[in-house]
Amino acid sequence: MAFLPRPPTPPQFQLVFDNVTKRYGDHTVVDGLSFTVEPGRVTGFLGPNGSGKSTTMKMLLDLASADHGKTTIGGRRYRDLPDPAGTVGVVLEPNAFHPGRSGRNHLRILAQAVGQPTERVDETLAEVGLSPEAARRRVGTYSLGMKQRLSLAGALLVDPPVLVLDEPANGLDPQGIRELRDLLRGRAARGHTVLVSSHLLAEVQHLVDDIVVIDEGRLMTTGPIASLTQSAAVVRTPDAQRLSDHLIAAGADVESAASEALVVTGFDLDQIGEAAHSIGVVLHELSSQTDSLEELFLALTAHPPAQSPKESVLS
Amino acid sequence: MISTNLLRSELRKVATTNMPLAFLAVLVVLAVTNGVAVAIGTDMDGSKTFISTGFDQQSLVAFAANALMIAGLFGAIAAAREYANNTVIATYLNTPNRPRALGAQFTAIGVGGAVLGLVGSALTIGAVALSLPLTDYGFMVSAGGVVQVIAASAWAGAAGAVLGAGIGTIVRNTGGAVAGTVLALIIAPPLIVQLASGSAPWIPGTLAVVASGIADHTSDIAAVAALGAWAIVPAIAAVWSVQRRDVV
Repeated sequence: MAFLPRPPTPPQFQLVFDNVTKRYGDHTVVDGLSFTVEPGRVTGFLGPNGSGKSTTMKMLLDLASADHGKTTIGGRRYRDLPDPAGTVGVVLEPNAFHPGRSGRNHLRILAQAVGQPTERVDETLAEVGLSPEAARRRVGTYSLGMKQRLSLAGALLVDPPVLVLDEPANGLDPQGIRELRDLLRGRAARGHTVLVSSHLLAEVQHLVDDIVVIDEGRLMTTGPIASLTQSAAVVRTPDAQRLSDHLIAAGADVESAASEALVVTGFDLDQIGEAAHSIGVVLHELSSQTDSLEELFLALTAHPPAQSPKESVLS
Repeated sequence: MISTNLLRSELRKVATTNMPLAFLAVLVVLAVTNGVAVAIGTDMDGSKTFISTGFDQQSLVAFAANALMIAGLFGAIAAAREYANNTVIATYLNTPNRPRALGAQFTAIGVGGAVLGLVGSALTIGAVALSLPLTDYGFMVSAGGVVQVIAASAWAGAAGAVLGAGIGTIVRNTGGAVAGTVLALIIAPPLIVQLASGSAPWIPGTLAVVASGIADHTSDIAAVAALGAWAIVPAIAAVWSVQRRDVV
């Protein structure tokens, strides 16, 4: 029997933020932040404006130094990676272009620095949907969406196993957003690591597997989006009272929503289904009641409204 | 060590904007002005003594001091605009080794400055040579003199560009970088000479004149080396500052 060689496993890179702190003068922008970003998943990095997302990404990429803690990519600092530009594709600033240079020349400069052939530039431009005519134009004439596509092209030049993208969907039209979503999901499916920050929460909800929420530089929550946004289970059964008693005895919180409906918290759907089966109760519905990501985000990052000076005087 | 790919990438950066064309236009204007001056200009006494000997003509076409200043501004703007346009982010993402990235950038900008110096001196020599038939004098600069003027201009252009790039990298602001370069090349040297009169042969303008073969305050070799030192000091300071600061 002949043994076929196994296809090589693509390298996988976990991103680790270990107790990272960054201060600008007296202002602490990132405060003891710790979380990990797993390969094979798309991780959404969320937080209000000025919460420290971009600074955190810059520390990961060695563009800014941490005052405390460390960040690693596959166990190494960015600068210690054998091929940093070939490992991590980055979209960081929306306007990181010389306005007088053509889009194609911008990419050729990046490609030349990392030893990629000119043909790869044209391939990447096609991948992100920038026409040859558009690529010949000066970047200063581009719309925000075209600039985002060009940024993305720069990040994809080398087909890197890690993508770090700061607000990549800004300015993209619906088709562009869909293409971006397909691209990132495809990357994650290939075992790549994808960290993406965005303000478009509805879009993020459809895109990401995990989320990291920060506010004022501190971690608010992190985990799979499915579990973080599942708040309760809805059960419909003709034997609601018996199932309710059984679940309460097992430790769940149960509320009666209607004559045949229960709202259960503290148990996941599998546990509820097994509990019903164990006492022979027929279920007509078993579904999760989920909060939107927006509700979760606002709950985690809500601040009491600041009292205005006028209100202070009046009070 | 700077890789060939990185250096080619930085050279493409320099070559793919309109800035070199703008500086080229300045060189053309200066050359035409020189040509017109030769054709219709006179000394105070109405004579054309200023083009009457080979030495006078070599003095007229000696472009190194101009190259130093023009390329200094070129380097300052090129380096500072990397920060203004945030293109420096891609530079340091591709090459996290900051001294290496800066080395490639300064080399490319220095090459750009050398080309400006070379083209500027060639245009000036050409304009003067074309205008001389309109006068009673022929072109009297020796072949060796022409080569020395062009070589000195190219070297001064390279040195000025690296000096400007160093200042631009430290200041990170286009206006500030231009002001800093003017300060370093025009305003500060006379003040330095006032403070220490022995330094007069070593200020950039004098060194450029010596390197062009029209003065002998120092040896040509010493002038060339000293011009290089004027460029290297801000470049080293730039590397030092970039290693200690966040990129953005």
